[in-house]
Amino acid sequence: MTDKAYNECVDNFADGVYRFIVKNIRHTEDAQDIVQSAFEKLWVNRAQVLPEKAKSYLFTVAYHQMIDHIRKSNKMPLSDEASIPHQPINQAQTELKELLMRAVNELNSTQKSLVLLKDYEGYSYQEIAEIMNLSESQVKVYLHRARIILKNKLSAYAPTAS
Amino acid sequence: MQLNESTYETIFLLYIDNELSPKERLEVEAFIANNPSYASEMEALKGTVLSSDKIQYPFKENLKLQDWEEDLKATYATILKAYVEAIPGLSTSFKNSLKKETASEAIIVKSFGFNQQKFTYAAVAACLIIFFGYQQLTKSSVSNLSKSNSIATNLNKVLAPNISPITTTKSKGSSKNIVSNSSKQARVNSINPVTKTIQLATTKLQVSNSTKTQRSNLLQHESIAMVETTPNNSVLENQAAMKEIPRTYNNPITMNATQLAVSTANIDAKSTVDEKGLTTYEVIDTEDPNRTIYIANFEIDGNKFRGITRRVSAFLKRNKSDKEK
Repeated sequence: MTDKAYNECVDNFADGVYRFIVKNIRHTEDAQDIVQSAFEKLWVNRAQVLPEKAKSYLFTVAYHQMIDHIRKSNKMPLSDEASIPHQPINQAQTELKELLMRAVNELNSTQKSLVLLKDYEGYSYQEIAEIMNLSESQVKVYLHRARIILKNKLSAYAPTAS
Repeated sequence: MQLNESTYETIFLLYIDNELSPKERLEVEAFIANNPSYASEMEALKGTVLSSDKIQYPFKENLKLQDWEEDLKATYATILKAYVEAIPGLSTSFKNSLKKETASEAIIVKSFGFNQQKFTYAAVAACLIIFFGYQQLTKSSVSNLSKSNSIATNLNKVLAPNISPITTTKSKGSSKNIVSNSSKQARVNSINPVTKTIQLATTKLQVSNSTKTQRSNLLQHESIAMVETTPNNSVLENQAAMKEIPRTYNNPITMNATQLAVSTANIDAKSTVDEKGLTTYEVIDTEDPNRTIYIANFEIDGNKFRGITRRVSAFLKRNKSDKEK
């Protein structure tokens, strides 16, 4: 990868990586540090990374660094369906988007990453499996399970909101 | 793909994750159209899909290392320029003077580095000149040494004739033969003109016809004889030189001219010659075009060698003139 290709990667993928990280950990400074570390690693290994694989490489590095960050800081408790807090939703938060984001934030880290990678970045199951070091069937099962959880949450929020 | 109550949820999830082929998607849409009760389920699942969210990384430009390098270079150049201008010794004129000196040194080094061929020619010419001069000096000294050695040998032989008689030629026989049979010696000398027998004596010796008297005189007095083998064309020159040799010898021998004279050589038998003055030097005629020059085992004609030296000198001059231009 040349310097020019690296700069193109910065232009094309920095926002996506940052969004993926900040949506996961919900901490902007830590997300910025993780993104910077990911691009630093890409710069160091730019000779071995092909330009067409740079995006998945960045997301893979950022995802693993995010996992390490979560394990160290314990800022993101792994939550399952039973641990979802049922806070009252005011009228301002009735928008579906905000409800959805709240439901997503209540997913566990793996499910959240799966949803974010699938919806924001449009990765296929296979690509997500490579980034998250999972099998394709695991991605399919975990993601479907996350969708059902989100649907149930949304259906649970809707009567409360209404 | 079988769409029914047990499989619809999975297929609907694959549909919203965009993991179905266009044909399968059409089948799902057809199934929903035929079964409107599943449309709400599809809408509920579609509601779990996150819409695009514009979030930008605020420090994207900082990740571009090339910009950092350019800024760093610009900053560094500014700082360096300020430092250079602040030091009087590193002013522009001083730096230019340094550049000139460096350039002149580079030219000198270049001339030494790329003109080794000239030095090779010069070295070869110098070797030839040295060898030629050494050859000439050696030739002269060898000829003189050979003469001196022959003189010394013959002197020893004459001084001790009974122990080591001269046997190089018949004319170089013992003094007995010389004295007792002068006619025979004269005949031998006339037969072999190359061999020249020089009888040197500074003391007058009365030579009688009797052999006994001759023997006694020889025993009592020393006789010096020099036999020299020279080319035919140098005999007369050597004889002329012999006449000019100073004649002071402590033990002179007087010889009878009628018996000792060599008629063909015109030598004054009564003349006395100092043996120290016998060393003669050959005059080298450098202008002789027919002169042969020996370099090691190679024989070079004088004209050819002169032509070679002229060509070498002309080549060096031409190179010098080109360099000056």
